[in-house]
Amino acid sequence: MSTVPPSTAPPALTAHGKSWLRMRAIARRHAYVMVRSPHRLFDVSLWPLVDVLLFGSLAAFVSTGNATPAAKASGYLLAGIVLWHVIYQSQIAMSTGLLEETWTRNLLNLMVTPLREVEYLAGVALFGMVKLVIGVGVMVLGALVFFSFDTWSLGFGLIPIVAVLLVVGWAISLFVMGLVLRFGTGAEALAWGVMFVLLPLSGVFYPTDALPTVLQPIAQALPTTHAFAALRSLVDHNGSDWSQLAIAAIGVVVMLALSMAFLVAMLRTFRARGYITRYT
Amino acid sequence: MPLGRRAPDQSTAITAGSVTARRYRADVVAELVLEARGLVKDYRRDRAVDGVDITVRAGERVALLGPNGAGKTTTLLMVLGVVAPDAGTVSICGIELARQRSRAAECVGFAAGYLPLTERMRVREYLKLYGQLYGIADPDPLIDEGLERFRIAELARAMGTELSSGQRTLIGIVRATLHRPRLLVLDEPTASLDPDVAQRVRTGLLDLCDRDGTALLMTSHDMSDVVQVCERVVFLSHGQVVADGSPETVASAYGHGDLTGVFLHLAERHDPFAAQQSDHP
Repeated sequence: MSTVPPSTAPPALTAHGKSWLRMRAIARRHAYVMVRSPHRLFDVSLWPLVDVLLFGSLAAFVSTGNATPAAKASGYLLAGIVLWHVIYQSQIAMSTGLLEETWTRNLLNLMVTPLREVEYLAGVALFGMVKLVIGVGVMVLGALVFFSFDTWSLGFGLIPIVAVLLVVGWAISLFVMGLVLRFGTGAEALAWGVMFVLLPLSGVFYPTDALPTVLQPIAQALPTTHAFAALRSLVDHNGSDWSQLAIAAIGVVVMLALSMAFLVAMLRTFRARGYITRYT
Repeated sequence: MPLGRRAPDQSTAITAGSVTARRYRADVVAELVLEARGLVKDYRRDRAVDGVDITVRAGERVALLGPNGAGKTTTLLMVLGVVAPDAGTVSICGIELARQRSRAAECVGFAAGYLPLTERMRVREYLKLYGQLYGIADPDPLIDEGLERFRIAELARAMGTELSSGQRTLIGIVRATLHRPRLLVLDEPTASLDPDVAQRVRTGLLDLCDRDGTALLMTSHDMSDVVQVCERVVFLSHGQVVADGSPETVASAYGHGDLTGVFLHLAERHDPFAAQQSDHP
């Protein structure tokens, strides 16, 4: 055995310092995953670009006649798809963060460390923000270059809408994480599937009046519906619709609280039933 | 050591002999780094762990042994706070695990032969990640020290996917000991390793325990591990502690010359198709 010189004790950090260190460590761990997996880069480059090309081309087609409704629809389509990716990127970044740990059987490695659940979530969300900025940035640029649609022209009214959609993405991801903890990786399809349920119900590209009558009450209960209604108000140059934003804000707080409670309950079940053995 | 350092109230199926007054004083001095009392865990209709008491004192090296299905891994997972016990309590360095898991986890390191390294990271990046999860702002000097301890400094720049299973095990142990835990928990640390690598693991563990006073709780199916590394063995069978003492004491209590004989004895009793007999000597 080689001789190992005893090292000096590492400097102690405060509890808050340790928390922040752990969050950054988790964010960096997921950065390595993205940078060293080229196909993961598609999530923030190619797929957003494909979406903006698809919906931008559709917008160009429907606005050919220059009629007012058609011109409106093109703005709804482009602004809708760009803002939809705020939910998509924030949700997928967090959900696949946990899924990555299950796919690589890394969950036990993490769970035996002092890492708290909230620190893990914050670390994944922190890196998710980076992915969001890159992914949505690609879309904003694509919309401007290919379709002369300047998302920034919608103004500062976008900020509260983006904030609501960001938190909606987090809330959905907490719900998906809870399902993955409870039902295993079989529930991973929900990480993507749940978005396709939300997309039509939220009126991302159209007012929810266009939905079948039976679905309209469900749509009205979703905070995303009100956030996208506020977005359409901006597209129509009517300024910020604060009443819609207020409903969206209240809705998203309720949604986040419910998702958090669900995740905590599922985590308790996970520990009680020893589901960690699925990943060892 | 060890026999003399056991707490006098420790519940054991086999007592380790008389405890002299001097040794009793040592009991009082030696700090408990792990105190698990009355652990119970049911999985559906089966009771995996049935009232297990385990204590480990500072610097003590303890093996948790038993046939497959005896409850070893479930016990370890409860000690680590990953599985919640249905009954019983776990304290680590005096910190109650159920109430302060994060603080208690700072005192523990865990590695298992079956756990992979985190993918898409180089060894140094991987070790740095875990060092920081344990609250070490600059883990680099400790990483160098840990790699040197197991003579694998050349692996620092390798990707985790390029390593052999033996190298992964060694890296896992380095990771588990970066923060100088008071208690190191190892599940099958030498499983499927070549004899030379297994020996390097054993020597490294002994060096670590001697230098840092780290207590060790490990499971193994390799009795040569146990004899070389551990000074106390705890045998589980059907989720219960059936023997607790030095390897020699336990072997002789069962009428065998070594621990392998005890293991086979218990494994035979554990066979669900065998007639039920007592697990006790």
